[in-house]
Amino acid sequence: MKKLLSILLAAMLAAALTPVMAFASSQTYELALVTDLGTIDDRSFNQGSWEGLVQYAQEHGVTHKYYQPKEQSDDAYLDSIQLAVEAGATLVVTPGYLFETPVFIAQDMYPDVKFVLIDGYPHSADYLEYRTESNTVGIQYAEEQSGFLAGYAVVKDGFTKLGFMGGMAVPAVIRFGYGFVQGAEYAAKEMGVDGLTINYNYTGVFAATPEAQALAATWFNDGVEVIFGCGGKLGNSAMAAAEASQDKWVVGVDVDQSGESERVITSAAKALRELVYQSIDAAYKDEFPGGQSLLVGADRGGVELPMESSRFKTFSQEDYDAIYAKLVSGEITLKTDADTDNPEDLSSEYIIVTAVK
Amino acid sequence: MDRRGRFAPLGAGLASAASSIIAILVGLAVGFAILLATNPAQAVRGLGVIAMGGFNGGMKGIGQVLYYATPLILTGLSVGFCFKTGLFNIGAPGQMIVGAFAGIWVGTNASFVPPPLLWAAALLAAALAGTLWGAIPGLFKAMLNVHEVIACIMCNYIGMYGVNYLIKNSNVYDPLKNQTIDMTRAAIPKAGLDNIFFSLKGRFHDASSVNAGIFIALILAIAMHVVLNRTVFGYELKACGLNRFASRYAGIREKRGVMLSLAIAGGLSGIAGGLMFLAPAGGLHITVVETLLAQGFNGIPVALLGLSNPIGIIFSALFVAYIDQGGYYLQRLEYMPQIIDVIIAVIIYFSAFALLMRQAIDALRSRLNRRADKRARGAGEEPV
Amino acid sequence: MNNAPDNFIIEMLGITKDFPGVRANDDITLRLRRGEIHALLGENGAGKSTLMSILFGLYRPDKGVILKNGRAVSISGPNAANALGIGMVHQHFKLVHNFTALENIVMGMEPTRLGLLRTDQARRQVLALSEKYGLRIDPDAKIEDSTVGAQQRVEILKMLYRENEILIFDEPTAVLTPGEIGDLTRIMRSLADEGKSILFITHKLNEIKQTAQRCTVLRKGRSVGTMIVKDTSVETMSELMVGRRVDFSIDKTPAKPSPSPMLRVERLTVKSGRQQKPLVRDVSFEVYGGEIVCVAGVDGNGQSELAYALAGLIPADAGRIYIAGKDVTRSPVRARNMLGLAHIPEDRQRYGLVLDYSVEENLALKSYFRSPFQRRGFLSFAVMRAHAERLMRGFDVRAAQGPATRARSLSGGNQQKAIIAREISELPNVLIAVQPTRGLDVGAAEYIHRRLLAARDEGKAILLVTLDLDEALAMSDRIFVIYEGAFAAEFDGVKADARELGLRMAGSGKRVD
Repeated sequence: MKKLLSILLAAMLAAALTPVMAFASSQTYELALVTDLGTIDDRSFNQGSWEGLVQYAQEHGVTHKYYQPKEQSDDAYLDSIQLAVEAGATLVVTPGYLFETPVFIAQDMYPDVKFVLIDGYPHSADYLEYRTESNTVGIQYAEEQSGFLAGYAVVKDGFTKLGFMGGMAVPAVIRFGYGFVQGAEYAAKEMGVDGLTINYNYTGVFAATPEAQALAATWFNDGVEVIFGCGGKLGNSAMAAAEASQDKWVVGVDVDQSGESERVITSAAKALRELVYQSIDAAYKDEFPGGQSLLVGADRGGVELPMESSRFKTFSQEDYDAIYAKLVSGEITLKTDADTDNPEDLSSEYIIVTAVK
Repeated sequence: MDRRGRFAPLGAGLASAASSIIAILVGLAVGFAILLATNPAQAVRGLGVIAMGGFNGGMKGIGQVLYYATPLILTGLSVGFCFKTGLFNIGAPGQMIVGAFAGIWVGTNASFVPPPLLWAAALLAAALAGTLWGAIPGLFKAMLNVHEVIACIMCNYIGMYGVNYLIKNSNVYDPLKNQTIDMTRAAIPKAGLDNIFFSLKGRFHDASSVNAGIFIALILAIAMHVVLNRTVFGYELKACGLNRFASRYAGIREKRGVMLSLAIAGGLSGIAGGLMFLAPAGGLHITVVETLLAQGFNGIPVALLGLSNPIGIIFSALFVAYIDQGGYYLQRLEYMPQIIDVIIAVIIYFSAFALLMRQAIDALRSRLNRRADKRARGAGEEPV
Repeated sequence: MNNAPDNFIIEMLGITKDFPGVRANDDITLRLRRGEIHALLGENGAGKSTLMSILFGLYRPDKGVILKNGRAVSISGPNAANALGIGMVHQHFKLVHNFTALENIVMGMEPTRLGLLRTDQARRQVLALSEKYGLRIDPDAKIEDSTVGAQQRVEILKMLYRENEILIFDEPTAVLTPGEIGDLTRIMRSLADEGKSILFITHKLNEIKQTAQRCTVLRKGRSVGTMIVKDTSVETMSELMVGRRVDFSIDKTPAKPSPSPMLRVERLTVKSGRQQKPLVRDVSFEVYGGEIVCVAGVDGNGQSELAYALAGLIPADAGRIYIAGKDVTRSPVRARNMLGLAHIPEDRQRYGLVLDYSVEENLALKSYFRSPFQRRGFLSFAVMRAHAERLMRGFDVRAAQGPATRARSLSGGNQQKAIIAREISELPNVLIAVQPTRGLDVGAAEYIHRRLLAARDEGKAILLVTLDLDEALAMSDRIFVIYEGAFAAEFDGVKADARELGLRMAGSGKRVD
């Protein structure tokens, strides 16, 4: 009886272990994406980039897969890139600036694999060395143009009291903010209205916090009609405050955030899907912009407002196309973080910027 | 009496190990069912990948298993130690994060400590902070008879939000990434493990993240084993856990035991937090998010699977990390990461029913014995 | 229909049951006649409870068959037993404390209509049964408010309500007062007269004489015979049970009290948390070395609380306690123990033992923190083992796997002997012994009485708290009767009269407060 039990146990163990033999030959996946923190359906960078990758892969019949790191650290991200490469990836898309260092390492480790880094440029962990190898392209966006489009659109849609709530005064956020102010000013000038006001604040966090929500509510109470919530999940605080009323609005950021709340009027978006698609397409056509750190704006279709899901009353597709063409042609030049540290310097006869502490 | 054909009672240790292994096999079987349901074509291969665990990644993969097992051993010990004294420490996530923050703060600010010892000072700070954080529910339990589960859950959230606040208002904050700064100076040393657990990627020496923390965890597990089984203190704590009336009758200061037990458990979790987050640039950072650390909660299945025995907990933590790592490599096949999470969680939690299984084994054994007797009678043998 | 010879309603034939390391029942045969009261006599650990548990379906026998009315039956659990008309009153009652008597009786077989309870019909039925057998109960009284005797009557009614015809009583008199025991005897007789068959587990020989027609004696898991009670002397039965002659008389030399009291209690009052009424009221007494002072009383009159307060397990609300001349009123348990207080607790499983510790660990429960049991904080298991082996030999503690046996798997008598071994070996100045022989067979009780007397003769002060009149009379040098928390009378141990003592315990006569 004892023998029987041990035989049984051994058989179970063997049954559990036999598949190991069958594992040797595994399928490969040519196109890969490694997710940033959050899941693939985060309605943000992961999802937008993945959609671009899937679109290309399906149109051209290429195998594809995404990988999720075990934890949020450079080492874990790098390990997932390795996992993707070992599973046969020839091109890896990494959405988000947290991949800057992992891609910096991976581009040397795997010279035969192409890397598309969205929203960042590869650099070493200590920020001392910025280097983009020939198998890698780093893409950053002209955020000021995206902000400009949003500012222009809301003023054209009839709003005169605006707010800008940024996460922290980091370059990307500053560019969004300055662009938003200048877009509003441009529209006011075009319409011949003056006396626009804009409250301008950096909350100091890239997260939805009760403090941020309280600030947004205060602004709405003081007559602000639309707030540009700019910085990670920060916008959700403004949305929560806006949801308490029927006539207050929020401008989303980075991706189309119309699904986050009914009060999102539009989003100052970066074109993730298109650029990922373009990059992959270029790689397969031997036109991969390797070694470049790209700053993409309207000229390359890198910024956009998601017009189909926007909730404008009067601002139309024609208006949008007209102003977009002006950005593409270079007719409009914008001030950025390189020009001034103080947003109040952007005030003019058409708009008064108040930096709220 | 003729004992042929009967199961002699297995040794206690052997029975525990056997029940744990059977529990694991049951867990794998259930996991296999989900593999079959989601992607039948690759299910067998998928089970193979999971069963291969860290070995899928060569030496680096094994190193990663040790790396992820390190905090699990400690939180498993934390939970298991309290189980032994009749308490349920569900406060490990809070104790970990508080310990981790204290470690990082000391690692950043204790400039008077010579750099080679900085990590040790930081880890000590992590242990102390965790101890304090564990002592709070202990105090509430001992003084006001507040159930430790409630106090522990409260302390989890207070710890998490408090640490988020403290990070943002101290010099350890990296606002750009919304996390703590790199701990390069106070990072736990690798102790040569990076020269064992690595794989070569071309000219790259791709080392695993495992560090000296695994040794600390192992030493503490053995220490806890000695404390529980060899010392007066352990005798008293276990007595409190098994029968607090009898402990009081024996003159054991039961309230002191409750407090010390939770404080020690907190210290263990605090060290777990320290070992996780006292990491160089490439490693983990405390991110300012409103999420409790999963490693803290995972101490519960680890402790259950290890039957609260410190040595058992080493193995069960290694098992959990191993299976988890297998799940990570399962991404090579056509399985979605979300489904993989489900599969791995199912395997681990089913395996944690080890205690239940043990009872089942005992029941089975006595039934087999009865049957053996019946056969003996049928054959005309007359047992005396 | 009933073709069984001799009209046996239940026959248990060749029952064998093994537990790890122990054969609890070895080829036991027991035949129960219809309408008889059949006593099952045996020492602790003789296998009585196991045998009855098998009949009630709690265990399956490893060997042997059970016949009901001559037909083999399989009893897979209490429900199956119930269906066969077998009911059992356990030693520890299985009642829901915050339910009423009626609710407890009908529980599990509540008469319902359209899913709603129909209690009026059940009430009539229960009251009729209660009338018929003289089982007085208040159907609406909550169990927690009922006396132990009333709870027992509820248990009996529960069996009758289920129309059980075979009634098992597991040591039913252990918890009763002398008056209640008389009532129970009458009830059992009337049940038998009505055709119920009764199995009666006990080790009290007098009760067997008074109630039972036949008696089966078990010793060490085997049946040593079934006899007609009226033809058998008490001495014979006890010899059969113990396997040797039992000396019922206790030789007691006159007490030689020490010059100063070892335990002094002054105006002690103990209140419970919830109730305003004190449980111990203004009690003063002394116990000198070399004497046994008894606190006798019916259960629930404050004697338990008195003992716990002396031991330091519950706080005193007023008054003073001195051990060996030192005021310990506010001292923790450990400090009292260090002054030489030993305590054989009333509830041996709750207080006396850590059931999941081994015997050796339990035997060190009062000494583990002292040298040589510990050195520099580490336990010496070798010392613990040697200590345990010595005590187990000295006090005849039997355990299947020696000192390493879990305390849980010891029989009740051996558990008690282990506690007594530990407490006496602590060389105490004062020994508080609360019901030290409760639930023990005569052999074990006799042994424990001798050990207590030996301790007394060595000069220990012994406070004996007991519910057992015979024990109080046999052992004590002085007897205090406790009634409703206060001392109602004091007797000289030698001259005390059993009837007088019983009356005072029951609360009659004049009170001395």
